[in-house]
Amino acid sequence: MPAAPLISVRDLSKHFRTFKRREGVWGAIRNLVKRDYQSVHAVDRVTFDIQPGEMVGYIGPNGAGKSTTIKMLTGILVPTAGELLSNGFVPWKQRRQYVKSIGVVFGQRTQLWWDIAVVESFKLLRKIYDVSQHDYDARMELFNHVLKLKDYLDTPVRKLSLGERMRCDLAAALLHNPPILFLDEPTIGLDVVAKDHIRQFLKEINQRYRTTVLLTTHDLDDIEELCKRIMIIDHGRLLYDGPLALLKQKLLRTKQVKFVVKDSEQAARLPALENDGLKIEPVDHLTYRIVFDRTKISVADLLRQILAEVEVRDLLIEDEPIEEIVKRIYAGEALKEVTA
Amino acid sequence: MNVLAQTLSPYLEFTRIGFVNILAFRLRYWTGIITYLINVTVYYFIWKAVYGPAAQAFGSAGTIAGYDLAQMITYVSVGWIIRSFYWNTIDQEMSYEVLEGKIAMALIKPLSVQWMWFSRALGESVFRLGMLTLPTAVVVVLLFPVRLPASAVHFALFVPAVLGSFFLMGAINFMIGTCAIQLKSILALIRAKYWLIELLSGLLIPIAFFPAPIRAVMAWLPFAHIASTPLQIYLGKLSPAAAAVALATQWAWVAALLWLAGRWWTFSVKRITIHGG
Repeated sequence: MPAAPLISVRDLSKHFRTFKRREGVWGAIRNLVKRDYQSVHAVDRVTFDIQPGEMVGYIGPNGAGKSTTIKMLTGILVPTAGELLSNGFVPWKQRRQYVKSIGVVFGQRTQLWWDIAVVESFKLLRKIYDVSQHDYDARMELFNHVLKLKDYLDTPVRKLSLGERMRCDLAAALLHNPPILFLDEPTIGLDVVAKDHIRQFLKEINQRYRTTVLLTTHDLDDIEELCKRIMIIDHGRLLYDGPLALLKQKLLRTKQVKFVVKDSEQAARLPALENDGLKIEPVDHLTYRIVFDRTKISVADLLRQILAEVEVRDLLIEDEPIEEIVKRIYAGEALKEVTA
Repeated sequence: MNVLAQTLSPYLEFTRIGFVNILAFRLRYWTGIITYLINVTVYYFIWKAVYGPAAQAFGSAGTIAGYDLAQMITYVSVGWIIRSFYWNTIDQEMSYEVLEGKIAMALIKPLSVQWMWFSRALGESVFRLGMLTLPTAVVVVLLFPVRLPASAVHFALFVPAVLGSFFLMGAINFMIGTCAIQLKSILALIRAKYWLIELLSGLLIPIAFFPAPIRAVMAWLPFAHIASTPLQIYLGKLSPAAAAVALATQWAWVAALLWLAGRWWTFSVKRITIHGG
């Protein structure tokens, strides 16, 4: 029996009513008198629990309902139906008390004040969250250390690069050391170095303070680096909720072997392999690739076969990229295998 | 006391930010002073022209609805001077934040959104008081024959009345800004409000100039308390006792509208929709 969950979500739904426009001039005139509404199920009966200290990745294609879920969890949106208890609060009912215990970062916008220096924003947040000077100094030191904020603390937010701004926003969200952190696309638009900084920082925060993190992302590297657990949503429905490892194990049917043959003389002997039913794709000069189904042929057998036929200079065995798996889940194709 | 200080301290920070923010717009500052001067000048000449023949038509007294020319000029001048203090643009800024989805950022802070906006507007108003209202007042007093307040008592009542105007204006603007949650575009609403307030507050024409039935209706509306009440007190149109009653009525409206604005916000915020992202 696990401990009481920190966040518990039951059949959470959010429907938006959107007004359907008619086309053309006549349609526009009719719009004036009568409107047709369309109900969009942005989030549809989603249920999950999150334990203290967990880092959970929440993924899905654009418009799947990720952000809407986050906005309900942060008390911004009121759900149409369902229950939600986070850190003992009903977010939209006890917003002001509740938000003291959460940190939020929206990758697309900043919670810092645009025209004033970053450090001024931090001072203001210190007042808002009633953080003692001692704690403030200690946390700023940690943030400086990991996120290297010092160089641009005196710059107004509008002059920061996206990566710098994101670091500042992360620091701002964690200034009051909240037990829960919600991140909506925290690495969107960032370069590799900035992404790495942010991932390292999140790991450190999670380990040091046992901060519970729920993050939405398009970047599966974020998930692979940070989260053991993954939730996949599409069209408002939760498609998968479980360990990342299990998802990979169940769905990683195909692997690929990339190899470089010694010279063109060896390359000429490749058709012999094809006769055994393997599909060889050329990648580059002297480099070839074989994609295979590991349930049908074992890696060892395949390698034996290749090595028997041609002289190989270099060889690499790879998993199917997780993007491909997720694409298949989105397409609805692989779902049965996971839930079965 | 400590708890109160702790509760207020973040809001004071917003006041400070409002103050600092307005410093960033230098051009707006200068055009502000010039706009107010032009307004006072225009009304000065209009009223002078109106009173020219009126002085003859109405006989030696030369008053219209109880105002002589000097009172009228004082009314208009002081009216515009205090407007530079109590005016704010909460509605426009809110509609921008709602459309941009920035309102989400306000909702994730453990603060009252209403008081956050009021604090910011107050910071801007305090800034304008020093940098716009007082300089404009000096220039206007030098250029036009503006009278001093009727008495020290009247002036003492005038000051809190102007503060009341700020809160009335703020509550109305906050309610209109809140409409942006459901209506999205409130430009037309903001424009309609602008002219309605101009007219119904008594800034354009003293309330006494309106026909009696309209005056009767206006007595039951809060708008006249924005401009007319402080100006009546300033001019001594009300006895100290009547002025005190007017001030109390104004602040009762302040309390009522602040409460209503809060209710309207609580109602609307449940209907918030932020698409995208």
